[in-house]
Amino acid sequence: MPEPTDIRSGLVCVGLNYKTTPVEVRERLAFPEAQVPAAVEQVRGLPGFEESVVLSTCNRVELYATHALPSGKDGHAALREYLIERFELQPEHAEALVLYNLDSAEAARHLFRVVSGLDSMVLGETEIFGQVKAAYKVALDTGTTSRSLNKLFQQAFTVGKKVRNETTIQRGSTSVGSVAVDLAEKVHDLKECRVMLVGAGEMSRTCAQSLLSRGAKSIIVSNRSYDKAVELATEMKGRAMKFDEWEHSLHEVDVIISSTSAPHFVIKPEQIDQVMRKRRWEPLLIIDIAVPRDVDPAVNNIEGVYLYDIDALQAIADEGRRERLRQLASCERIIEEQLEKYGFLKSPGSGGLKLA
Amino acid sequence: MPASQQLLLAATLIFVGALVQALLALKAGAWKQARAQFFLMALGFALQTGFIYLRGEEVRQCPIKSLPDILVFIAWSIVLLYFLVGPAFRLSLLGVFTSPLVTLMQVMAFTNGFAPYKPKGPINALVELHIALALISYAAFALACITGVMYLVQERMLKRHQIGGLFYQLPPIQGLAHAIQRLVRLGLLLLSIALGISFALHLPMTKTGHVIFAWIVWGLYAVISLLMWKHFTSPRKTAWLAVIGFILPFISLWIVTHA
Repeated sequence: MPEPTDIRSGLVCVGLNYKTTPVEVRERLAFPEAQVPAAVEQVRGLPGFEESVVLSTCNRVELYATHALPSGKDGHAALREYLIERFELQPEHAEALVLYNLDSAEAARHLFRVVSGLDSMVLGETEIFGQVKAAYKVALDTGTTSRSLNKLFQQAFTVGKKVRNETTIQRGSTSVGSVAVDLAEKVHDLKECRVMLVGAGEMSRTCAQSLLSRGAKSIIVSNRSYDKAVELATEMKGRAMKFDEWEHSLHEVDVIISSTSAPHFVIKPEQIDQVMRKRRWEPLLIIDIAVPRDVDPAVNNIEGVYLYDIDALQAIADEGRRERLRQLASCERIIEEQLEKYGFLKSPGSGGLKLA
Repeated sequence: MPASQQLLLAATLIFVGALVQALLALKAGAWKQARAQFFLMALGFALQTGFIYLRGEEVRQCPIKSLPDILVFIAWSIVLLYFLVGPAFRLSLLGVFTSPLVTLMQVMAFTNGFAPYKPKGPINALVELHIALALISYAAFALACITGVMYLVQERMLKRHQIGGLFYQLPPIQGLAHAIQRLVRLGLLLLSIALGISFALHLPMTKTGHVIFAWIVWGLYAVISLLMWKHFTSPRKTAWLAVIGFILPFISLWIVTHA
């Protein structure tokens, strides 16, 4: 293998993401996990290319590479051609394909932003960090990275950690499901947490899935249509319960997610008062995502009961998003500092590259 | 100022520093179980230990006979228990709530001044053990009080939907409620042993003010513990009991050392 080029001059990134490309095109251009090792070898094998990493997630497909071609534009064109050929795009689709073409400092900045969650659909989300790490590991194991990309990706992981440690970009919840999880975590130890769904709407399913994915112990599903309850309970490895029985089991659960279509309150203070006595005052979180509401607001006055309706959850999620947006400037500043520290922002005369 | 008090002054400043550092970190939203906080608390503890050692050398006995010395000893025990209990019960932010109380106790000790002790006869190890255990039990009650404050803060935020910076750092209220119960039980156990020793020493209860107060404190916390154990009250009321209950041992210390 030839000696790698200067990372600041031979680095390119070509890609598409949820901002540039609709899902029906993204899904056509996604690399199945098993095919990524072959893909990184194919990219590295392109004429003039030296190293490659392929990042393919549901929200983005990005090719990072270093090359010894005369210009960055040549690198971009080669990678674009590769994608068109690899996915056998028809000429009209190939022509309509919108890709971002980034060089050196721009490419490094983009990678740093991606790793830090700043380019994600949910600002500050942390899953992308693991996805980039996994993509890099595949390339490393396949042997398509060398000094330049190894250094770049290690720098990116350092920057990602720095952004998360020095700002609160990942803190707070930005969706109703994650608010439910945050609340449950602050009331109970999630591993011991038993959840009951009263009504099997889409939103309650999302909340329950979020809780289960974070380790909730068990789930009971009760719905007017027993078949639907069984279906959802089976999907979530929980237990279905007939709709006329759920009241008798309220004291056995720690989180109630209610989303029935009843036009009146189905959970009332006198019921919960009895439940709390049976629970010996162990705290109870009630998430009411039904409209009209299922739970009488007076329930929140009972000691040890914490009631959140859809507006309360939405307000917390909105505040979480605002808080993350407030952190954005600090994150960008850290990234710029790190780009400078790693030599990406030197003036053209000193061997680096100018910013776009 | 004697070397011992210089150490105590330094320890007090360190605890103030730990509090300021924690508050700034929380305000900036950069609180990460703060290693700096742990380091400052450890440094403060080392300085407190140095004070107790030098003070013991000055008075030629275990320095737990005057109110200022007792306050420092309890403050030292609180920090010791903080290191033992905080990680075991996964009580993040315990240091933030502990450092103000420790600072307050040490400032009160300085305000009272450290007088020399009267010369005393041969040291009875059992008497020293009895007093030390009783004071460490008071430290456990102090930590139960601090944990109670944490519970009430977290509970209030949950009830009022105030989901902010501190909310994310405080432990779950169920964990806090269990920690209060364990700390009260620990304090009660230590105080029971201390009082058991007083029986072995044949200390006449009616003529020894501090033993009477120790029994009153024991009785109070036995009732609190029973209420918790049998779930007669909600965790919120239990937290209030742990907070308000600590006033009694605090006052009793002042009474017995000034009687």
